[in-house]
Amino acid sequence: MPIARAVKRAAVRLGAVALTGALLAACGGSTDDTSSDGAGGKVTITVDLFGSFGYKEAGLYAEYEKLHPGVTIKQTDTEDEADYWKSLQTRLAGGGGLADVQGIEVGRIASVTQQQADRFTDLRKYGADALKDQFAPAKWAAATGKGGEVLGLGTDVGPEAMCYRTDLFKQAGLPTDRDELAKKWATWDGYLELGKQYKAKATGKSAWLDSVGSLYSIMIGQEKERYYDASGKLIWEENPALRTAWEHSVEAAKDGLSAKLDQWSPAWNQAFAAGSFATIPCPAWMLGYIKGQAGESGKGKWDVAPLPGGAGNWGGSYLAVPKAAAHKKEAYELIKWLTAPEQQTRLFEKQGNFPSATGAIEKVAGAKDPFFSDAPIGKIFGDAAKAAPVQVLGVHDQNIAQQITNALSEVERKGTSPEKAWSNAKKGVANTIG
Amino acid sequence: MTLTASQAPAPPGRTAPPRRRGSAPRRAWRTFSPYAYLAPFFTLFAAFGLFPLVYTAYVSLYRVELQTPGDMQWRGFGNYTALLGDEYFWLALRNTFTIGVLSTVPQLVMALGLAHLLNYRLRGRTFLRTAILLPYATSVAAATLVFAQLFGSDFGLVNYVLGVVGIDPVDWQNDTVASQIAVSSIVIWRWTGYNALIYLAGMQSIPNELYEAAAMDGASRWRQFFHVTLPGLRPTIVFTVVVSTIGATQLFGEPLLLEGQISGGISHQYQTLGLYMYEQGWGFFHLGRAAAIAWVMFLLIVVLVGVNALIARRRSRKEAGR
Amino acid sequence: MTAPIAPAAASAPAAPATPPAGDPAARRTGRPRRGASRAGRTLHAGPVAYTILILAVLVSAFPFYWTIVAASRSNADLAQVPPALLPGPNLMRNFEAVLEEADIGKALLNSLIVSGSITLGTVLCCTLAGFAFAKLRFRGRGALLAVTVGTMMIPPQLGVIPLFMLIAELGWVNQLQAVILPGLVSAFGVFFMRQYLVQSLPDELIEAARVDGASTARIFWSIVVPVARPGMAVLGLLTFMAAWNDFFWPVVALTSSEPTVQVALRQLGGGYVHDQSVIMAGTLLGTLPVLLVFGLLGRQIVGGIMQGAVKG
Repeated sequence: MPIARAVKRAAVRLGAVALTGALLAACGGSTDDTSSDGAGGKVTITVDLFGSFGYKEAGLYAEYEKLHPGVTIKQTDTEDEADYWKSLQTRLAGGGGLADVQGIEVGRIASVTQQQADRFTDLRKYGADALKDQFAPAKWAAATGKGGEVLGLGTDVGPEAMCYRTDLFKQAGLPTDRDELAKKWATWDGYLELGKQYKAKATGKSAWLDSVGSLYSIMIGQEKERYYDASGKLIWEENPALRTAWEHSVEAAKDGLSAKLDQWSPAWNQAFAAGSFATIPCPAWMLGYIKGQAGESGKGKWDVAPLPGGAGNWGGSYLAVPKAAAHKKEAYELIKWLTAPEQQTRLFEKQGNFPSATGAIEKVAGAKDPFFSDAPIGKIFGDAAKAAPVQVLGVHDQNIAQQITNALSEVERKGTSPEKAWSNAKKGVANTIG
Repeated sequence: MTLTASQAPAPPGRTAPPRRRGSAPRRAWRTFSPYAYLAPFFTLFAAFGLFPLVYTAYVSLYRVELQTPGDMQWRGFGNYTALLGDEYFWLALRNTFTIGVLSTVPQLVMALGLAHLLNYRLRGRTFLRTAILLPYATSVAAATLVFAQLFGSDFGLVNYVLGVVGIDPVDWQNDTVASQIAVSSIVIWRWTGYNALIYLAGMQSIPNELYEAAAMDGASRWRQFFHVTLPGLRPTIVFTVVVSTIGATQLFGEPLLLEGQISGGISHQYQTLGLYMYEQGWGFFHLGRAAAIAWVMFLLIVVLVGVNALIARRRSRKEAGR
Repeated sequence: MTAPIAPAAASAPAAPATPPAGDPAARRTGRPRRGASRAGRTLHAGPVAYTILILAVLVSAFPFYWTIVAASRSNADLAQVPPALLPGPNLMRNFEAVLEEADIGKALLNSLIVSGSITLGTVLCCTLAGFAFAKLRFRGRGALLAVTVGTMMIPPQLGVIPLFMLIAELGWVNQLQAVILPGLVSAFGVFFMRQYLVQSLPDELIEAARVDGASTARIFWSIVVPVARPGMAVLGLLTFMAAWNDFFWPVVALTSSEPTVQVALRQLGGGYVHDQSVIMAGTLLGTLPVLLVFGLLGRQIVGGIMQGAVKG
């Protein structure tokens, strides 16, 4: 049977390929097989984060490893927080695959304290109580469970400002001085007005801002009450401040001021270098993104000015240790060090993530950043951090925000009527929470 | 131990040769040992195949959240009635249908044509067959990532080529019809060659006498195709339609990865049922509702397969009566 | 959870009334018997036929070519109009980047472990069960076979929620066995091996061994397996490819810290890496192993698919 022989020969060949592959893999695998506790106190601490925490870039892991011989830190990172959160929840439910340290966004911290306190280590066990005075009171309180458990240590906060491209502004004949701009866009109407001027004069495919979603997010960050009131009741539909942010975003979309990009998407990433937009609302942690995406060639082309319409806060994070983590004690030591004022200070100076440790805020007051044309980022973000409202947090903050920015994208990219988009947002929220 | 051919009844002499009667335990082993051969498969099948399927129906009657899977609250048919009033569910159902048609019909028609050509005497027959099957070797994920690039609005090759021919750039992500065409094209690309080979196999099993007879009656190639090949292929065509329909019903990877969005576009414009189920379960963590969607998908498949079988039987009866 | 291979032979229950022509050997291979069957099909392909076929081949192959082009260039190249159509110099740089940033190396290793285990396990389980269904007589055979064949058409995706709850209960989330064990369930494989053995294993062979006093286990290993080997090879090939390319379940059960290739690709598509050319390099790396199998064994895969089809 010639056919059978051919198949037999094929099977042998396939077997050979598979075997070779397996051998190669085994050889490759054995070299980095150091993930578990070895002899001599060797520990690999795994850290799983989202977005841009900047520890690796700022060299903090390398330094910690040097200070603690035998410790290796391995970091994984997902850019989009929504994807990260889904994956984290799946692993929490299944109890498998959790890192020793997990990052938690402030929009999710209420979900952790209210719904999942039993899945995370109470850091008081390792003496976290003593750290309380290091942090801004609100930051500390938000990560405290009903029974006083300390479920995470604060990393950064997200005081808000406006980042802009001086070269593009110049081309469009707009002023580039940050103080002058701050006066011109003292209000959001002023900002949008300037946007119209920019649009009229800008060359090429450059828009005023990256997306109306980011405009909405930065504006809602200026409010104390956003989606829930202090009693935990959902109020977002009736919240007049939210409506104002929505309407300004709709206006920007209608006037064609946005580059219509989806934040955190590949196209958005590409657009930084391509100069597709002239301004981007930037919480402090956005500085790290801008540096990363725009690259060396962007140095000196960017600048930072105070935010239109007053101070606000968007984001900021915590580091937590899941109960299922393999190296809880070591993980605690690491996050304690990473969130200490000295490290927070250095992180801000290198990456822009604004400290949540009170001691650090004073230390960075004089910081300037050459990438952003030597803007006094310490002062701009420091002032914003002091003036920003202490926000009421809720379990579904992030989910609701996502549905709203999604609906705004419809207005921006598909020309959906604002009324329809608003009802879509309502349906989306009901679907998510339901 | 009784051995038997599967189709023919065992000849009487074979069942119990006297010298192999053996002791009671041995006889017991003979009765049960076939189950030992089935055990590995059926153990796995019961645990990972049958149980989940049946349990899906059970879960769909509860409110279960991913974060607290142990805490199940009875909802009765609440998850199903919620679906009836859920605009996104109906949208996903409609999208599944339109994408299903957009992907299945051209795919099968082209496959039929290709199979017909491959059935000619050809040089490089093996090469041609292997080459058109090439897309089948790629994964949904790989194919979709590549097509997502090709369909990029600003820098994609497709829009560039359209531009060369003088057509304005198409928004392959946000436009409803265009995005569904983009999703369908990935399916078409991956499966046309596969189906062509299935048809080819079917064509080769059509008895030659039929062609000879048709040729003697002076039938042209086209007439032969319509009057010999197509009727001869009917079972195969029914089979591919059924399989493609099932495939279309559970389409998931293509819409998920076109933009990497779990919602299937900002207005859910190309979200399929499979993706909606995933969004409910692993995006919003509502496992109970996701189970209800899965069960609806199951019923949908049963109905579609049933309708298909019915049409096929009708047609063949009609033709037999002719 | 290896759905896509199931279709091929599933036509059997759908259309049992139309036995295909030709002897069993021809049926199995999907090729017409040499000589006899050519008469009605001596139509030579004309230039039009060749043109269309070559066009089809080009359409099939182009995305592969373009992947290589994109993977060997840079992000900036890909954001250019007109787009680049020839490979560039950055292939190795992009490979390095994707190995570094997305841990594709680990994904490849995991995929090899998962697909290899699923292939071996499936072929073994299915041959055992296929043999029992084909050659042994026992109570409930008809019913069990009917259940197996009946579920062949049901997409495993539909049982994914309880399956997830099950592996969560077992603490298997993000562990490879969560993907391997469910992947071993192949109703199609059982049916395929049963059909294969019914056709190619004569009862007389077993009968003779039985007379010589061989036990069933002995018969299985020394008679059934050698005869079944070609069928096992085809099943193994199709299973391997399907397992390698399986998407839904691994995406649910695994995460980026313990990915298969498909999970890593999903991660790449979700903005994990910023550079499009690096993403394409990852896609290329993830596809290469199956392309390699395909290059070596394309003919057998074609044969396997056609053979499965004619079974009905």
